Amino acid sequence: MGSPRLTRGCGFAKLNHCSPLHYAAGVLAAGTICAGAPAYAAGTPAGTVINNNATATYDLPDGGQNSVTSNTVSLIVDELLDVSVASTDGGDVSVAPAAANQLLTFRVTNAGNGSEAFRLTARDNAGGDDFDPSATSIVLDGNGNGTYEPGIDIVYVAGSNDPVLTPDASVLVFVLSSIPAGATDAQRGRVDLVAVAATGSGAPGTAFAGQGQGGGDAVVGATGADAEDDGYYRVAAAGVAFVKSATVADPFGGSTRVPGAIVTYRLVATVTGSGSLANLRIADAVPAGSSYRPGTITLEGAPLSDAADADSGEFTGTGIAVRLGTVAGGATRTVTFQVAID
Amino acid sequence: MRFLLILFALLLPASAMAQSQVALNSQVFVERTTTDSNGAARTSLEPPGVVTPGDRLVFVLSYRNNAAAPATDFVVTNPIPESVVFAGTESAGSVLSVDGGQSWGALAALSVRNADGSSRPAALADVTHIRWRIAEPIPAGGGGELRFRGIVK
Repeated sequence: MGSPRLTRGCGFAKLNHCSPLHYAAGVLAAGTICAGAPAYAAGTPAGTVINNNATATYDLPDGGQNSVTSNTVSLIVDELLDVSVASTDGGDVSVAPAAANQLLTFRVTNAGNGSEAFRLTARDNAGGDDFDPSATSIVLDGNGNGTYEPGIDIVYVAGSNDPVLTPDASVLVFVLSSIPAGATDAQRGRVDLVAVAATGSGAPGTAFAGQGQGGGDAVVGATGADAEDDGYYRVAAAGVAFVKSATVADPFGGSTRVPGAIVTYRLVATVTGSGSLANLRIADAVPAGSSYRPGTITLEGAPLSDAADADSGEFTGTGIAVRLGTVAGGATRTVTFQVAID
Repeated sequence: MRFLLILFALLLPASAMAQSQVALNSQVFVERTTTDSNGAARTSLEPPGVVTPGDRLVFVLSYRNNAAAPATDFVVTNPIPESVVFAGTESAGSVLSVDGGQSWGALAALSVRNADGSSRPAALADVTHIRWRIAEPIPAGGGGELRFRGIVK
């Protein structure tokens, strides 16, 4: 990458080392990207000239002294092409089947010693997973705030706005994917973000004559100038099973369905899966030939009032309804109510 | 990689070019280690074609007395270039400086002052200059070679 820019310095975070993020063919405003290290991890900047010369003094036979200076040998430090990619998600990203625009987050760091553009690719068909997400776009965290902001952060277009990073600088990259509708609970889907130096990549030591920053060559470093990391989505889906049972107590101490007998209905909702269900609601009609016994609704053994009020249960006139809110997988909710047989 | 050899000698006044001079020549090489087919490491000195941070450099100073009379008390001083960490010398008779050439000695005898006023033993990375004093007079037509190593920061 031949850009002569080597901008350093930080406007707002003294402890961080910041440098502007430029775009290779950018019409978009530059953001500010911060890297953690205050020193050049990658060493002497590309294009630096190393000069060496020596001087000598010696005595002449006549008692005088003479001095001599050697020639100066100069060499230019070439550009080392190195890059690193690291997922910053800290674990699987929980998603629902058929969800769109699900985020994986990566940090791409210029580990070389020259300003360099990096070509990004999201590989969504890598193995080692249960389903293939569909990577729909790559977005650059242009304002460097670490948060994906649709419409504010910059959609990446390969070859058009490849992020240009100064040595040690990094950029946060969001990969947005759609999750297939057929993905089931606890399945994992993998997407790799690949970053390759625009100048070139390959076996370490591969040189690109004259293409280094500052007039030297560009040389592929230990990373091959090609790095990737994987991120995983994990489906968190949930289902629910209802079981209804009835207990009859007749006026004579038995369990016969006769007029005047009291039937206690027990409704058990069991949520399964690793996700959770939102706005789960249990409703049951009072059977024909029976009458609701006021004040008999319970949730997890605690009574609920019949009125449509602040508590989560009510008698609607024809049946009962209990709002359970969000219930996580593995949890059960038990509702009971009673009717009298007419 | 562009290897620039700037012959400053060409720019010196004619008197300095006279034959009554000791000539001093500076060269730099990159030390490369390759592994041959038997798995043995082989080290060679190469012209600095491609140089990147971490590369090992060997600086070679050669001198020759072109004058008719011997040169005595011959002292060669070489500042360590910026962007290079001094990595030792194989040529005997050297002294080092870690303070820009003000004081000289063996590395073990040198110390560096910390910001808080205390001092610590000097390390190779602190070396700013290397100097050799050639004990024997250099006879007319005589010469020699001095080497030191560096690593590109």
